[in-house]
Amino acid sequence: MLLLGKIGLGFLGTALVAGAVVSSEGFIDVKVHEKQTNGTHISFVVPAMIVPVTLKFVPNHYLAEGSADLRRYLPVIDAAISGLADCPDGPLVDVTDPGEHASVVKSGGSIVVDVDDPDETVHVSVPLHAMQSAIDEIAAAGGPI
Amino acid sequence: MKTILAVLAVFCMGSVALAAPERYLHVKVDDPAGREHVRVNIPLSLAEKVIPAINQGQLRDGKVELGNFHANGVDLKMLFDAVKSAPDGEFVTVQEPDTDVRVAKSNGKMIVHVIDKEGKEKVDVTIPWEVAQALASSGDKQLNVEAAIQALEKAGDTTLVTVTDNSQTVRVWIDSRNTSD
Repeated sequence: MLLLGKIGLGFLGTALVAGAVVSSEGFIDVKVHEKQTNGTHISFVVPAMIVPVTLKFVPNHYLAEGSADLRRYLPVIDAAISGLADCPDGPLVDVTDPGEHASVVKSGGSIVVDVDDPDETVHVSVPLHAMQSAIDEIAAAGGPI
Repeated sequence: MKTILAVLAVFCMGSVALAAPERYLHVKVDDPAGREHVRVNIPLSLAEKVIPAINQGQLRDGKVELGNFHANGVDLKMLFDAVKSAPDGEFVTVQEPDTDVRVAKSNGKMIVHVIDKEGKEKVDVTIPWEVAQALASSGDKQLNVEAAIQALEKAGDTTLVTVTDNSQTVRVWIDSRNTSD
């Protein structure tokens, strides 16, 4: 019994460590709700580290064109993400038109985008660290930088 | 041990207290009917990191190449030189067919009034003189935007630009609040 308990404790500890590693970069949260009858409703939350890990398995030739486009703006993107990571949480952009509203907020290490228009509402939250990792993976797909 | 912990606690609290609050550049655009609005809040530290990284068109390494740049037919370099040498409070006026541009330095600020002769648009710009000098710090043919942003971070809360016309009002200002309401 004692041995079984130790084995169980080992599994539990391993699961906790694995969970901590997986959630270390935060979570990507996406919700899309179409307002018409029988519209699409999408909602998922995934560990952010899945994105750069998944990109490693995508063949480079699929990412090559995106990589070339991205490299032109990489210094600006890197500076923007680094700057955003260092600045305090708060609203960055808020736009209101009749019937439409869009906002971009920095919150808890993530960029949160909310859009509400007559057809749908969209909520996307992406951790900045995961954004940087994904961009680095795409940029590296075109060869050494 | 208790003494060391107390000293460390005081040191940490002191560091937090002395840390300068983040400065924000706010942009507020409203239409007269109140149906549309735009609010932008940019931390100046973010702008300070991003601007030097942009190398597009005339903006490179935090500087804007002027060359023979004219705004609405007005030679900006000539205007700035005239204001720099004019007495405090005295306006330099440049008259164009459609607009009058009046510039002065007063109480440590550079003030620009752009008056549309048809009365359709009014632009008021107030720049702390240190910011205006930082903008001109890279010589005759460049505007040093990076240095201007650094100077803005040290400037007090101030409204920089107001634009009023028939379709919208625009206000640009800096302060230490992270919202524009």
